[in-house]
Amino acid sequence: MQQPGLRAPSREGWKRDIVRQLKHRDQNQHAMFTDLIRFYTQLLDKTSLAKGILSRSARRPSADSSSIMTLLHRNNQLKKTTGELAYQVVELQQKIKIKERFWRSKHARLSEDERRAGAVFDARQELQQRVEQVQGENGALKMEYDALLERQRGAETRLREENLRGGHLLEDIMHMKKQAATRMNSRNERKSRAREANLQRELQSAAKSKVTVDSSSAPTSRSTSPKNQNQERGHTRLFRSASATSPRILSPSKNCLNKRRGHSVCSLEEDLSPVGICLYARVPVRARQVLEAHEQGINAVRFSSSSDLLATGGTDRVIKLWEVRSGSLTHRATLDGSTEGITCVEFDATGRRILAASYDKSALLWRLDDPVPKLTLTGHSRKVMAARFSSFPHQVVTGSADRTIRLWDLQRAACVQVTEVASSCSDLVCPENCIISGHFDSKIRVWDTRTVNCVQQFPAQGKVTSLDVSADHRQLLSCCRDDCLQLVDLRRWSNNRVCFRADGFKCGSDSTKAVIR
Amino acid sequence: MADDKDVLRDVWFGRIPTCFTLNQDEVTEREAEPYYLLLPRVSYLTLVTDKVKKHFLKVMKAEDVEEMWFEYEGTPLKWHYPIGVLFDLHASNTVLPWSITVHFKNFPDRDLLHCPSSSVIEAHFMSSIKEADALKHKSQVVNDMQKKDHKQLWMGLQNDKFDQFWAMNRKLMEYSTEDGGFRYIPFRIYQTMSDRPFIQKLFRPVSPEGNVHTLGDLLKEMYPTALPNDGEPKRYQVVIHGIEPLLETPLQWLSEHLSHPDNFLHICIIPTPTD
Repeated sequence: MQQPGLRAPSREGWKRDIVRQLKHRDQNQHAMFTDLIRFYTQLLDKTSLAKGILSRSARRPSADSSSIMTLLHRNNQLKKTTGELAYQVVELQQKIKIKERFWRSKHARLSEDERRAGAVFDARQELQQRVEQVQGENGALKMEYDALLERQRGAETRLREENLRGGHLLEDIMHMKKQAATRMNSRNERKSRAREANLQRELQSAAKSKVTVDSSSAPTSRSTSPKNQNQERGHTRLFRSASATSPRILSPSKNCLNKRRGHSVCSLEEDLSPVGICLYARVPVRARQVLEAHEQGINAVRFSSSSDLLATGGTDRVIKLWEVRSGSLTHRATLDGSTEGITCVEFDATGRRILAASYDKSALLWRLDDPVPKLTLTGHSRKVMAARFSSFPHQVVTGSADRTIRLWDLQRAACVQVTEVASSCSDLVCPENCIISGHFDSKIRVWDTRTVNCVQQFPAQGKVTSLDVSADHRQLLSCCRDDCLQLVDLRRWSNNRVCFRADGFKCGSDSTKAVIR
Repeated sequence: MADDKDVLRDVWFGRIPTCFTLNQDEVTEREAEPYYLLLPRVSYLTLVTDKVKKHFLKVMKAEDVEEMWFEYEGTPLKWHYPIGVLFDLHASNTVLPWSITVHFKNFPDRDLLHCPSSSVIEAHFMSSIKEADALKHKSQVVNDMQKKDHKQLWMGLQNDKFDQFWAMNRKLMEYSTEDGGFRYIPFRIYQTMSDRPFIQKLFRPVSPEGNVHTLGDLLKEMYPTALPNDGEPKRYQVVIHGIEPLLETPLQWLSEHLSHPDNFLHICIIPTPTD
C-alpha cells in the first residue's frame, strides 16, 4: 500500500474513474437490493413460522376452532377500531389544518405589527432628532438674547449717565440764564427807575396846582383834549394799564415785547365816594410797590370787590393771588390748572370765586382757597378772550376769538347757549340786564341776557381791545386800537360819547386794557 | 490515500443480489420459494450459502439431498472462483438479481470440484495467497507470517471482517521502494470465448526502462484482442470487480487495491453487450 508520493495529474484521472465506477456499481447492485432482500427474508421467516404454526394447528383443528372464532372476532373488533382510529386521524388532521391556518394568520399579523413598530420607531427617532435640532437652535437663540440683553443693559447705564450729565448741564444753563436774567432785570429796573425819575421831575415841575373837587357826579362834557385836561376833569380816572403782550398773540400787528419781566403795579388812590365823586385825580407817577409777580408777562389784573385781594394772571398759565395791605402786596396763593396763558381774570360778586379765561379755549373757575380749578368750561374753538360772571346767578358769559359768545350754567357746568357773532369778541362786560361785547370789527354790541339777542350795536373808533363798565353800571369805557378811549353812557345809548386821546398813548396791542376806576 | 482506503472498502464490501431458485426437477414436498441473498463479491459460493441450503432443505426430504451445487443458465458455477468473478464472467450485463439455480442432485463431477466442508475452502484460499506472494515477494512475506496470521486472514474473509483481514493483508501489499513495485504482478485473465480457463503469466509492474506498466500494457502483452483497435468500437469489456478501469491505470496500483482477498487480480474479458 505504499505508494510514491508523486501524483501526476494523469494518475488521478484513472483513480477517480475507478472510485466513481465502484460507487456506481454499488449503487446499482448493492444498495437497491439490500432492503428488499432483508424484508423478503424476514417475511419468509415469518411465513415459515406461520406455516409451522398452521401446520401444527392443522393437526388439532377441533380444539382450536373456538380460538379461531375468537381470533376472527378479535379481528373484526380490530378492524372496527382501526376504522375508528382512521376516522379520528382524519378529524385530527382537520384540526391540525385549522390550527395551522390560525397560526399562519397570527404570524402574518405579528410580522405586520413588527413592521409597523419598526416604522413607528423610525418616526420616533426622526422626531427625537428634530427635538435635538430645535433645542440646539433654542440654545443658540438664548445665547443671542443674553448677548443682546447685556448690550441693552450697557446702553441703559450709558443713557442714565448721559441723562445725569444732561441734567447737570441743564442746571448750569438755567443758573447762568437766571444770572443773565437778574442782570437784565437790574438793568431794566435801573432804566425804568431812571425814566420814572425823569418823568416825575418833569411832572412835578409842570404840575403845580391842585384841582379842587366838584361835587358833580356825572360827566358833563367830553371832548378831546390834551393830556393836561384829563387832570382837570371832575372825574378822575386813574388809568392803570397793565399791558403786556404775550408772544403768542397775533404777532403780525404789534411790537411784541418778549418776556418783559415783572411789572410795576401802580399804587392806587381810592375813590372816596363810590358815586363818582372824585376827590382828586392824579396821574400815577410813582409806583408804590414793584413786584416780580409772574415769570412771564401779565395779561390781566383784577382787584376783588373788597379790594383786599389782587389777582394777576398771565402767560405763565397761573393766577396769583396777592393780599393788599397798606399799600404792599404779599403773595397768598397760586391757582393753576390752565394749560395756556390767562387772558382775563374776574372775581365774582362774593369775592370767593375767581373766573379766568384762557388761551386753551376754556374758562376756568376756582374757589378762592383751592388751587385746583373747580370747573372747566370748554367748548370754544379758539382762545377765550373774556369770561365774566353774569348778572344772573350761576351764569358765566365767555367771549372768544372763535366769534362766539357762550353762556354757561355753573351748576351744570355746561354751555347753555351759543351765539354767533360776526367778529371775534375781545372783551365782555356784564352790567345789569345786558351783556356788552366789544369786537374786532370796531363794533360794540349789546345783548339781552335772557334772549341773548343783539339789542343794539354801535360802532367804536377802531378795533375794540377792551371794555369796562363803571361801578354804577352807567358808563362804558372802551379802548380801541386807534389810540382812543371812548366813554359811553349806557342809559342813554346816545351818541354821547367822549373820546379821550392823548399824545403818547398808544394802544399797543389787541389786548390793551383800560379800566374805569 | 483516503481514496485508496475507500477503494479497498468498496472492493471488500461489494455485494451481488442473487435469487436462488430450486431446480424444478428436485423433488420437493412443497413449493419451494426462491431465496434472495446479497452475496459478497470477494467470497466463495459454498462459504456463504448455508442459509440457502437450510432454506431449501426445509422443503426437501433429507434422503433426497446430496451435495448442493449451483448453476447459472446451464453453466455450473465453480465454487473456487470468487463470486464476483463468476458474476462478472457470466451475468455481468444481465438483469439483477442474479438468478442461480440450486441443485441437490446430479453433481457434475467433470465441471465442479467437490466442497465437502469449509476447510477445503480455507485450504484453497490460503494456497492462492501463497501463490500470489510467491509472485510478489518470492514468498518471503507469507513465510514470515505465523500460523495465527494466516488464520487471521482466513477468519477475516469467512466472517467478513475488513479490518481484521487487512491488518494482515497490508503486509502482503508492501514492497521496497527501490523496486518500484512487486516482483511480478499476480493476475488471472478469464474469458468465456475459449476453453482455456484463465491466463496467468509473469508480468513485471515496471518496465526495464523504468516505465510504469498499465493495464493496457498487460492486456497488450497477454490478450491483445481485448484491446480495441484504433477507430473501432470496443468489442470487449475488461471488467474487474464489476467495473471497467481505464487502460492507463497503473498495474501496480491495481494489484494493491483491486485484488481479491486471495491477492490475485482477477480480470474478466467479456464481449460488449450489443443492444
